Amino acid sequence: MTSIRLAVVRILVVSMLLTLGARLYFLQVLDQDKLVQTANRQQTREVVLAAPRGAVVDDRGRPLVTNRTSLVVSVNRSELLTEPDKGAGVLQRLSKLIKVPAAELERRITPCARDVPRPCWNGSPYQPVPVVTDTTPSVVLTIAERQELYPGVRAESQTLRQYPYGSLAAHSLGYTGPVNQDELDAAERAGGTDLHLNAQIGRSGLEKTYDADLRGTDGVRYVTVDNRGTVLGTQRETSPERGNTLVTSLDRDVQKIADKALATEIAKRRTQTDKEGRRYVAPSGAAVVMDPRTGRVIALSTTPTYDPTVFVGGISRAELARLTDGDAGTPLVSRAVSGQFAPGSTFKLSTTAAEVMSGRAPLNGRYACPGTLQVGNRTKDNYEGIGIPGTIDLRIALAKSCDTIYYAFAQTDWYSDEARVEAGQKAAETLQRMARAFGFGREPGLDVPSGEQTAGRIVDRGFKKARWDANKSTYCADARRGYPEVTDGSRRAFLTQLAAENCSDGWRFRVGDAADLSIGQGETTVSPLQLAVAYSALVNGGVVWEPRLGRAILDPSGRVVREIRPKVRGKVPVTAEVLNYIRASLAFTPENGASGSAAFAGFPLDKVLIGGKTGTAEVFGKQDTSWFASWAPANGQARYVVVAMVEQAGLGAQAAAPVTRAIYEGIFGLNGKKAAFPGGRAPTTVPKVTGDKAAGG
Amino acid sequence: MNVRVRPGGSRGLPPLGRAPLDRGLVGPRERDSVWWRVDWVILGSALVLSGLGALLIWSATRPRLLDVGEDPDSYLQRHLLNLGIGLVLGTVFAVVDYRALRAYAPLVYLASCVGLVAVLLIGTTINGAHSWIVIGGGFQIQPSEFAKVALVVGMAVLLAERSTQEHSSRGADVPLVLAMAAVPLGLVMLQPDLGTAMVFVFTVLGVLLLSGAPVRWLFGLIAAGIVVIVASIQLGVLKEYQLERFRAFTDQDSDTLGAAYNITQARIAIGNGGLFGTGLFEGTQTNGKFVPEQQTDFVFTVAGEELGLVGAGGIIVLFGLLLWRALRLAGRSPDLFGRLVAGGVACWFAFQTFVNIGMTLGIMPITGLPLPFVSYGGSSMFANWMAVGLLLNVHARGLETDRF
Repeated sequence: MTSIRLAVVRILVVSMLLTLGARLYFLQVLDQDKLVQTANRQQTREVVLAAPRGAVVDDRGRPLVTNRTSLVVSVNRSELLTEPDKGAGVLQRLSKLIKVPAAELERRITPCARDVPRPCWNGSPYQPVPVVTDTTPSVVLTIAERQELYPGVRAESQTLRQYPYGSLAAHSLGYTGPVNQDELDAAERAGGTDLHLNAQIGRSGLEKTYDADLRGTDGVRYVTVDNRGTVLGTQRETSPERGNTLVTSLDRDVQKIADKALATEIAKRRTQTDKEGRRYVAPSGAAVVMDPRTGRVIALSTTPTYDPTVFVGGISRAELARLTDGDAGTPLVSRAVSGQFAPGSTFKLSTTAAEVMSGRAPLNGRYACPGTLQVGNRTKDNYEGIGIPGTIDLRIALAKSCDTIYYAFAQTDWYSDEARVEAGQKAAETLQRMARAFGFGREPGLDVPSGEQTAGRIVDRGFKKARWDANKSTYCADARRGYPEVTDGSRRAFLTQLAAENCSDGWRFRVGDAADLSIGQGETTVSPLQLAVAYSALVNGGVVWEPRLGRAILDPSGRVVREIRPKVRGKVPVTAEVLNYIRASLAFTPENGASGSAAFAGFPLDKVLIGGKTGTAEVFGKQDTSWFASWAPANGQARYVVVAMVEQAGLGAQAAAPVTRAIYEGIFGLNGKKAAFPGGRAPTTVPKVTGDKAAGG
Repeated sequence: MNVRVRPGGSRGLPPLGRAPLDRGLVGPRERDSVWWRVDWVILGSALVLSGLGALLIWSATRPRLLDVGEDPDSYLQRHLLNLGIGLVLGTVFAVVDYRALRAYAPLVYLASCVGLVAVLLIGTTINGAHSWIVIGGGFQIQPSEFAKVALVVGMAVLLAERSTQEHSSRGADVPLVLAMAAVPLGLVMLQPDLGTAMVFVFTVLGVLLLSGAPVRWLFGLIAAGIVVIVASIQLGVLKEYQLERFRAFTDQDSDTLGAAYNITQARIAIGNGGLFGTGLFEGTQTNGKFVPEQQTDFVFTVAGEELGLVGAGGIIVLFGLLLWRALRLAGRSPDLFGRLVAGGVACWFAFQTFVNIGMTLGIMPITGLPLPFVSYGGSSMFANWMAVGLLLNVHARGLETDRF
């Protein structure tokens, strides 16, 4: 009896111990892999050792973008949310420490979403959000020493982008920003590159185009952590590799000269009045300096501009609003590359080439230049309705910028094309074809992101038809409706008739459209850069470049990783004879008496001969756009093409031409100015720059 | 340990100590040696477990103490102090007159009941249980640990005294035993310390089984127990944290940061050890302080991670040795009192070990029971060594009766 009962107890005890043993065996041997993985996951953290981003330097190796180290306090929101009070206490303490209101901190770390007001966090929701940069060492110490009071808050030294010359070449250089979750996910899908949570990536300009070169390779330190994330030790680490240096063809000095010239002339122009007595608005302007022989861009200047420093460590809501405010002239947008404006008479380069090459306007022909010309059912004027008596050749037509000659050409072209269309043939569209050959109507292919350069617009039959197809229902509906909301009777009638015309005939490429196109008016738009590319073709024997800002990529030791070469997009279908003729016609020789030469009074044209074409583009409801497209030297191989544009500033000779004049004086060192390029010649070799010296950080 | 004290032969029993070394005798007389009278397996396994416990506690508490800037060895020192006190108490219980034990048993029982009442009145709540009396100087007493000893001895005395012949009890004794056990059980439930209550219940059932109580009583008790458990869950007697622990137990992947955190972390730490462990002081989970209460309730996870299957399995084997010897003792004891004491202690240790290790392995719910000898904690250590003392006492007594 007793022994049976004891046996029961024994069996019970043995089975309990066996159960424990079996379970232990299961966990430590059979199920072990999974648990060890979990253990590794929770005890190991990756600490990204950010690679210093490569510098951007100019054609002589002078830094345009560098790095600096800054003490940055960042907050990891996902860690805060694991606190019992969702991190409210931590933010309160941090707020007192860094003297930023807690509500503001809260907003800054909240991930951006549809209903979230700015400033919000644009990066990955799992990454620490920098809430304050350039804090003091004492703040860093406080946070580091009292981690239990500041869970999820980190204070460390980071490298930040630095712009030694502020706004200089801001639009070309672009800016960086924190990587976002979509990009991280995409990188992961692409096979897990070196893109880490804290990465800063190029968001605009050269920073974006050459991001892969500049970024370098982040190092990773695998550390062992405890249950609160406190680092216990390092398991292994890979060192960060500094990013490569981008050498550009931008020249700091020429860029400065262009910026200054543009700003000076705009300021001056704003004090002057047009013929109706109104002050010139001159809200914006641009200047392009490029080497027509190589397709390299030496300066891209835009006014208004901005200092990319505002993007460092996160841009504030107010700053971003200011940069994108239309009333403030949207300083974020590069007028030189993204701006599109009617080119006016500067476009006659393309028209002249087209008419000569098509045989419509032989070089030895003489043409009437009346004050007005009947085009279709409208009368179109020369500038201010003044003609030139008798007949003139194309040289005078270009130099004096006679419009009616071109109207006549365009009108004849148009009738021929209409006849072809009637006969079931394709329209020749000579003007448009030549315009495209010169690079108009398509993106110039500059090495900045595609969205940051405009294609401009060259209107043809296909374009009008496509637009009409897309919009005709709106036109027709408006025509039927008759604009009842417009109170002014005559305006209502005008709008209604316009809508009715668009509804029935909006698809038509009319003779007036052709005439407008021939002198760069109407719906024709180009960017200053496109014009520079076209004039480069004029002076380099017809080569149309895909221009480049990047010159070479250097590794941190200064070795050339690769050279960046402008691509030849094509050659304009214009003979050397015709190009020579146009060049000669536009050179500022005394016999030409070119329309822009007034702006070069006192300029030593005997030393450096300038060639150029003014443009004065009419814009509906605004003052004229002032253009000047030029090159130098015009006696010999042209080394520079300079294009300037000032919006709402009147005659090309009065605002844009003085800008280019100041740039040439700076480049060549004329009229007492120090030459930006020794001997007026841009450097031809890649400078040697080592990464640490250039980029710092 | 030199047990040369005479446990008093005043009641006509042969004296325990014969001081054999004094006489320099060997050979057949060796059986009389005090060394022979000690059950070395029981003593040895308890000592090894306590020593291992010291190392594991040291390993578990070092990073935690360093973290808060305190002496990293302070828990080790306290544990060794506790062990020393435990050894003294164990010696006392081992050498005290067998009859004296029975005589003082009611007193011990009463004292532990008073302690349990006191803890309800002036106790401190730790981890949801109102189980500790703080006595200042960083020391605190957990009366429920001592109540385990009192309960075992008390039941043994009651059943042995009342039985006509020393080898079995009558059915009429059962209600009396139940009434006696009900008082400390009720008090422990009020704290509420469910784990200790479960140990009480299991020990009572074990002692009743070994006492020869009628089988119908035992099954009746088990059935009643199940009813009480179900009813208490249904009627909401259990505290929310207790229910949560049970829920976390039944669905262990549910909420790895909430109630199931302990369970999950314990399993991860143990799994991380593998066959041979990471080595003492090298456990990443232990050094990372991922397992809460790792020096007390979850000390087994330190063994699991740092000593691996070899070390953690070794601990189970050591408990197996201890329990095997205790049950062997229960079988060989010449009197009912000795059998019930040995059997009661065995049931207590067995169940508490099973629940504690089982919870670290995720097969038992978390109840806050220490692992005997290994876990940090003075009261537990003292009570465990008192129990070892009892076992040794019974062992020595058995040898004496053999000689009659």
